[in-house]
Amino acid sequence: MMIDADARYLQSHEWAKKEAGNVFTIGLSAYAVEQLGDIVYMELPQVGSEFKKADSVGVVESVKTAADLYTPISGKVIEVNEEIPDNPDVLKTDAYDKGWLVRIEASNPTEFEDLMDDGAYRKYLETDA
Amino acid sequence: MVLRMKQTPFFEKHTAYGARMVDFSGWQMPIQYTDGIVAEHLATRKHAGLFDVSHMGRFQVSGTDAPAFLRRTLTNDCDQLPIGQAHYTILANDTGGAIDDAFLYRLGQEDFLLVVNASNKDKDWQHLQAVVGSYDAVDLQDISESVAMLALQGPEAEVILQSLVTESTLPDPKRNALSQFKLCGIDVTAARTGYTGEPGCFELFLPAASAPVIWDKLIAAGAKPVGLGARDTLRLEAGLPLYGHELGIGKDENEIPIYVIQQAKFAVSFDDSGRDFIGRDALEKQAAARQRYKAGDFSDTTALPKVVRQVRLLDKGIARDGAVVYDQDKHVGWITSGTMVPYWEYELNAGDATLADSHAQRAIGLCMVDPSVTVGSTIEIDVRGRRLKAVIVARNLENRKGTQTYAIV
Repeated sequence: MMIDADARYLQSHEWAKKEAGNVFTIGLSAYAVEQLGDIVYMELPQVGSEFKKADSVGVVESVKTAADLYTPISGKVIEVNEEIPDNPDVLKTDAYDKGWLVRIEASNPTEFEDLMDDGAYRKYLETDA
Repeated sequence: MVLRMKQTPFFEKHTAYGARMVDFSGWQMPIQYTDGIVAEHLATRKHAGLFDVSHMGRFQVSGTDAPAFLRRTLTNDCDQLPIGQAHYTILANDTGGAIDDAFLYRLGQEDFLLVVNASNKDKDWQHLQAVVGSYDAVDLQDISESVAMLALQGPEAEVILQSLVTESTLPDPKRNALSQFKLCGIDVTAARTGYTGEPGCFELFLPAASAPVIWDKLIAAGAKPVGLGARDTLRLEAGLPLYGHELGIGKDENEIPIYVIQQAKFAVSFDDSGRDFIGRDALEKQAAARQRYKAGDFSDTTALPKVVRQVRLLDKGIARDGAVVYDQDKHVGWITSGTMVPYWEYELNAGDATLADSHAQRAIGLCMVDPSVTVGSTIEIDVRGRRLKAVIVARNLENRKGTQTYAIV
């Protein structure tokens, strides 16, 4: 199972990657994408909206189910991947790069340190998930 | 206590094909295989899908009183069912609700096969047992374990099945026809029935012990394994009801009257006025209400407060089971089944569709709404606080030439 070593993870399978300054990119892990099956639609937040860590920022819909998308980092949405809602297949092939979902300007960047690193996430998938 | 999951005779086949197995009514069943729900749905519409439906309940009903027993417990009238035919039917309760919906196959004058939902099998069995005591000569047997069941559905289903027939013949080319023949030397019973809306449709009953061999042969002949995920999107696209969604207990916690579903008219027979079947009085009232709605009279909705209709979303998004439906600002009902389903794009020439190689997707569903919300009405569906526009449609799937279906978009 593909796990990106540059990202850190929530137990609900969202990842965050640190960009320049206080900006973080957020997405969904390859494991989550595989579990959901065919993703057919996504709802992403409005640019400018503000969220606290673990708030629902959107919804990912597969044929069978709808799952909330949670943010691993508190802050303000500064960019949304507009390609995704109409072309969610990208997540299947590239969950950690082209499949990014939201960019957030963090209000509390140290939250990043509390997330699982790739090793901890791998262990989590093997044991608990 | 640990409940042991039941496995059908095809369990090893599923895992060999990369199935993701899920718990379905106590059974380990494939929700999808490697290619996923979208690919499986599309393969069924253009080629042929193979479904393990062995988790469903199969009851054999025989004996001289079998017809009388079935005429009491089922809404449809087996006196009108010729040998070698099947029909849709319902196990009703006294108040006109469904204990289950089912298919009845007539194998002989006094020999029937009743196929029921996996999730209701135990309840159905208890209900039938409670009634059967009043009849002297009925042999009611649960043959679900000894007889496996497969569905083969899609435009290529007939060619595939025909290629494996070694003795006798496929059922006559009409809906619900039934025959017994040999497939690769193995005795099977098959009917032209199914749950996908495909005109090319077969359901096979075969000895459990030889079932895996038949699976392999059908796959080798070109059938694609399809899991429960696509089984659901296919039936939804065809507008077919599913117990627990369109029948049973509704979102408002009330029992759903059988006549909410359009298909009730095929499942209930009042032709013999002397036949006293369970639920008859209540169902006659529901049927009368449905007649009035058809004539545009919505003044009395007591017997049938809601009806099931098909919807197609106009706005982006997906309406799921439970989403509230509004007409202007009036709460008129809720979605009972809904998701995004794929379809082959196509060209229409003189009423016949040529399916393209490209596909798209659309959000559709079934809803239970006030009877006055008729076909063509624009409605709004509350999805997480957003109001998505949708339209009530007569159908989402067209089957004009009787060989292939195509999406109405």
